[in-house]
Amino acid sequence: MTRNLFQSDWATPMLVALTIGLLISLFNPAFLATFNLQVLLEAVSINVLIALSQMVIIAIGQMNLSVGALGGLAAVVFAGLMEVFGLPPALAGALALGVGLAGGLFNGVLIGMTGISAFVITLATLSIFKGLNLAITQAQPFYEIPDAVKSFGNETLFGPFPIILVPAAVIVVLMVVFFNRIPVGRWLLAVGGNAHSAELSGISITRTVIVAHCLSGVLAASAGILLVARLQLGQPTIGDDWLIMSFAAPIIGGAILSGGHVSTVATVFGVLIVAQITQALVLFHIDPFFVQVVLGLMILAAVGANQLRDLRLQRAPQE
Amino acid sequence: MTEIAFETRSVSKFFPGVKALQNVSIQMRSGSIHALLGENGAGKSTLIKLITGVYRPDEGQLFAGAQEVHFNRPHDAIAAGVGVVHQERNLIPRFSVAENMAMGQTTIDPLKPIDFRRLNELAEPWLDMLGLSIDPAIQVSRLSVAQMQMVEIAKALSQRTRVLLLDEPTASLTPTESQALFDVLHRLRADGVSMMFVSHKLEEVQEICDTVSVLRDGVNAGENIPMRDLQRKDLIRLMIGRDETIPEARRRQASAQSVALELRDLSTSFGHRNVSLDVRRGEIVGLYGLIGAGRTELAKTIMGLGALTGGEILRDGAPVTITSPTDALHRHRIGYVSENRKDEGLILDHSVLENAGITIWRRSANRLGWLSRSGVRMRTVPFLDRLAVKTPSLHQKVGNLSGGNQQKIAMAKWLAAGVDVLIVDEPTVGIDVKSKAYLHQLLRELADDGTAVLLITSDLPEMISLADRILVMDEFILKGAVANTRDYKAMSQSVMEHIHHSTDELRQAQAASA
Repeated sequence: MTRNLFQSDWATPMLVALTIGLLISLFNPAFLATFNLQVLLEAVSINVLIALSQMVIIAIGQMNLSVGALGGLAAVVFAGLMEVFGLPPALAGALALGVGLAGGLFNGVLIGMTGISAFVITLATLSIFKGLNLAITQAQPFYEIPDAVKSFGNETLFGPFPIILVPAAVIVVLMVVFFNRIPVGRWLLAVGGNAHSAELSGISITRTVIVAHCLSGVLAASAGILLVARLQLGQPTIGDDWLIMSFAAPIIGGAILSGGHVSTVATVFGVLIVAQITQALVLFHIDPFFVQVVLGLMILAAVGANQLRDLRLQRAPQE
Repeated sequence: MTEIAFETRSVSKFFPGVKALQNVSIQMRSGSIHALLGENGAGKSTLIKLITGVYRPDEGQLFAGAQEVHFNRPHDAIAAGVGVVHQERNLIPRFSVAENMAMGQTTIDPLKPIDFRRLNELAEPWLDMLGLSIDPAIQVSRLSVAQMQMVEIAKALSQRTRVLLLDEPTASLTPTESQALFDVLHRLRADGVSMMFVSHKLEEVQEICDTVSVLRDGVNAGENIPMRDLQRKDLIRLMIGRDETIPEARRRQASAQSVALELRDLSTSFGHRNVSLDVRRGEIVGLYGLIGAGRTELAKTIMGLGALTGGEILRDGAPVTITSPTDALHRHRIGYVSENRKDEGLILDHSVLENAGITIWRRSANRLGWLSRSGVRMRTVPFLDRLAVKTPSLHQKVGNLSGGNQQKIAMAKWLAAGVDVLIVDEPTVGIDVKSKAYLHQLLRELADDGTAVLLITSDLPEMISLADRILVMDEFILKGAVANTRDYKAMSQSVMEHIHHSTDELRQAQAASA
């Protein structure tokens, strides 16, 4: 079976991302400066994890409003453990990932067991996670971040490639394999695609929902940890502005919000598109607050494009 | 005769207020196709759910071969070799054919990567066996409905299914596709698979089935009868024939009243041709036909949900164009009580009051556009009382009430709207006897008060006890009218003749053209 490159899910987002990059560099060659690309890739590394943490929930046809609050909580736990208890970064990071897992498990169990909508449950846990964050930090940042963590978050391997691109890339590869090859990953898509049918085939919907939320929590926590390393401080406000980004990239990547269809690679390009446009606004000295407006418009454009594509698929003569 | 592959022995299933199935026994033999017939609400889907492990019987036993089985969940049925191809598609649209077929295999390590090439190899022989030239790697969403159905059959077979239930498999297939399906079923029969075929198309049933069971009101009306002993009219008689007395109802004299709704030579995109009928004020006109005859589609066209390709609709004698149900309700005062109350008639998560009041929100809003709760209550409560809706409170969720009470609320909302023309589609399917009597009384009172009622029902006794005139529809064409003499035997005879006659004509026409 040979599949045409341009029929794949991610061809369109990739072309759009390349076109945007090309246009920006034509109008302002400074875009291709090493430092500029480094900043771009740093943003992409972290935002990819945020977007994936939402994408796994979109895959099962739900939404997770608490990704930012949970990622922020994991971030301050990471920073706080190092500053207050002097834990080594690796251990603090592992515990922070554990916080993400626990928070995701909490979401998943509540949703899976009660059948209450994920929207309501994660709205409530958003508030809980954020409250815990503020209780721990007293709304003050943790400043004492070990040098090793700081350099991990800010140095480059070579050229414009930041070190934090490595964990992000590894996770992306794992997610691609997870959703394409691993039965559990397929179960997520099956439940999102047709829950009734999945259940008749012996897939436990409850368990699948719990797995998805655990994964979402761990991904959000990993984004929080990388952000602490890059910012060089444990800000209690980390995560506050993740929500729109988390939905925008998967949607631009063609994910279907009712579930059953997501593409990891397309989501990565979605993140790249958003990051490039954000940076272009800076390069062209446009008010940065305008980014929000542009992001909103892009979501609308992407949803519209998806709708058109579906309509055309429905009308296309069937083989 | 061959051995029995699956059997239900005197199974019963009760729901609050309704006996869905009572003492139903059917036998499915290996290498044989068994037809299950019955009108809407006769209990077919309940029986299928018992056999496939969705429900558990309240009484009676299930046997797979000689062994008694107890199904606690659908998976138990699959494990016992019972598979079902449902009306609604049960495939994951974005997954490949092969992966869909592999789903449900229990012996999978959840973390071991899937070998798609191997899945394709495993799927291939089953697809070949059904004579399907489908690439197992292709996404299911790219297949036609008929192909998806075949894939479901292939999936069932690959799970070692020896008992296969087909729930209206031809409902959305073209005649050619149906024929291809029948070829496959014949081949499976030759291989010894036992099949149950549920369909409303009697010609198909006669063509491919070996034996037949008929359900009527949740009981066996015919049990494991060899098909060769039966003719089409026998099947119809088994499905709708009844020995019950029709309550004597007062005759209405509506001929003096003006015509409220008239259809003149109506043709529609659904396939109706030259349908002409009229309903006078204070008259109940029945529209009878078997399922799939085009009655609901006609109602939907009147409500503005289908396109006219010819003819016209007249309301109080004036031609009208109805563009949407909103238009029908607010401008033309025509209401429609849908047969599908769960999906179309009611918002199950909303309260009784909200559901009953939904049609009058527009009119009960005050001048500022505010909706006053007491206003809605004032207009709806009298109707809910009159229908004797049993609910703990007006704020109870409709989804928590019984089917009968749900139907009463669906009806009450149109009464509250004060429509002049009411189309009622299968008003008493699946509801208990007492609620049924209430609803009948109510429809009579409505007509007495001057409402023009168009009654669609497949329940012939109901038709005979309510309608002033009965029109018979078959194959989207009106076949004729029968004056209601309230004599059940004579009525059912002439109704059946209308339907039977039409199909004979059709056959002759087909034979002539072939």
